[in-house]
Amino acid sequence: MTINSLYFVNWWTDTLIIGGLSIITWVALLAFHHSDTQPIFWFALVLSLVVNYPHFSATVYRLYQSPDNIRQFPVTAWGLPLILFGAVGASFWQPDVIAPYFLMLFLLWSPYHYSGQTIGLTMVYARRAGFPIGRRERMALSAFVFSAFVCGVIRFQQNGTSGGFTDFYGMSVPAFPLPDWMEAAAQAVMWTGALVFGGSAFVWCLEQKRLMPPIVLLPALTHFVWFVPGASLKSFWIVIPFFHSLQYLLIALVMQLKVRIDVAGGEHSWQCIGAEARRWGTRNILGGILLFIGLPAAFSWLPLPLMTTAGILAAAVNIHHFFVDGVIWKLRDTATSSALMMNIAELADPGAVDIVRPNVVEV
Amino acid sequence: MRKAATAGVLAVLAAPARAAERSSCILDPAALTPREMFLAAAIGAMIACGVTSFLLAERVTERTHAALAALVVLIGGFCLFTLFGLVGRNIPVAGSLVLVGLIGLFKLMNQFEIRRKRSLSDK
Repeated sequence: MTINSLYFVNWWTDTLIIGGLSIITWVALLAFHHSDTQPIFWFALVLSLVVNYPHFSATVYRLYQSPDNIRQFPVTAWGLPLILFGAVGASFWQPDVIAPYFLMLFLLWSPYHYSGQTIGLTMVYARRAGFPIGRRERMALSAFVFSAFVCGVIRFQQNGTSGGFTDFYGMSVPAFPLPDWMEAAAQAVMWTGALVFGGSAFVWCLEQKRLMPPIVLLPALTHFVWFVPGASLKSFWIVIPFFHSLQYLLIALVMQLKVRIDVAGGEHSWQCIGAEARRWGTRNILGGILLFIGLPAAFSWLPLPLMTTAGILAAAVNIHHFFVDGVIWKLRDTATSSALMMNIAELADPGAVDIVRPNVVEV
Repeated sequence: MRKAATAGVLAVLAAPARAAERSSCILDPAALTPREMFLAAAIGAMIACGVTSFLLAERVTERTHAALAALVVLIGGFCLFTLFGLVGRNIPVAGSLVLVGLIGLFKLMNQFEIRRKRSLSDK
């Protein structure tokens, strides 16, 4: 029997970051709906500097900060950037023939990637809560999450396109055509998945004689809000990447602190945690600026509009991130899964953890 | 459904048929269209991945070979996407097949360069 904390930080922080904040934002945008999305767009752009861009940088930093990682994943570290460099070159060379497909690929891959993160977060919180996710629960959860993704793709196409094209960094990306019946089919699978997963959770509650902590279901609920009702609200889906990045940064920060303080034998104190968090945050903000502003600026000599260059490079950075994320965050990896079971307070003082937040007993 | 399937087959065959019409470019590489040049470069990249895997036989782990194979799938998948990505505009059912294919591609890429349960040489 081991004792694990339910939250990475505490109830408030985890709930807000994992989904509470995005659901509140969705409700607020729904209540104060306005057709002019420009203010939201600019607000999201400013937030990108401190959240979205650093989230990409955090992945790059996590892969390339250690020579061991590079040796362990040579194709991801070296081969993949080469292939992406080729795709970027082809897109620069043929911005009307190849680039639209490259951007389409990214625009479809991105929500799929969000789905993967939702499943990962649910698995982590379920493990922390002591809720076992077997094959049936995993399949039901995947059915729910990936069908919501398909619903989202269809709704984005319906609401975010004009004349069969989606605007991305000023470029016209063709909308991905799908038949009308597909949303109904996706919804049927999604609700079946929700029922099966909800049923398993209910049975568990009866067996355990206690309620399931809401944080376990929050990632899936948030995902649903993003891709089903939220996908019809343009002002909301502008900010979805921000919330996805926010989720990611919470987990990545805890992982970084674990590596620097716990594994590398650093000092266990809040002061040390604060210093490492600031150092990591600053590096990632700078890294993000380099990736999304510096890199396009370096290619500004190309005979293309700067926004086109920036859009193609942003798609490449995103696709690289999707790969690296898949490689470095595997829950089956013991080091990763053990780090994802900890609470930040354990790094400050291993003995202080019980008074900081509630504990959950895992059998 | 049968009509849609027939239309789908025709759409798939239409591209090679058009390529056959332009067979004169075989004699004149400069006459290649940008898309054909891209496909040629992509085939080159796939060959490079295959050759790298071949040359590294018994020198790298099975995981690395699998990752190189996944890269070949990625490049090939993207090439097909540039050819048939918008086929759903004319045949909606084909659009859903393209989406299913893309989800399969994403799922496969999600297994990129990870430890495998039954790996022999990774031990």
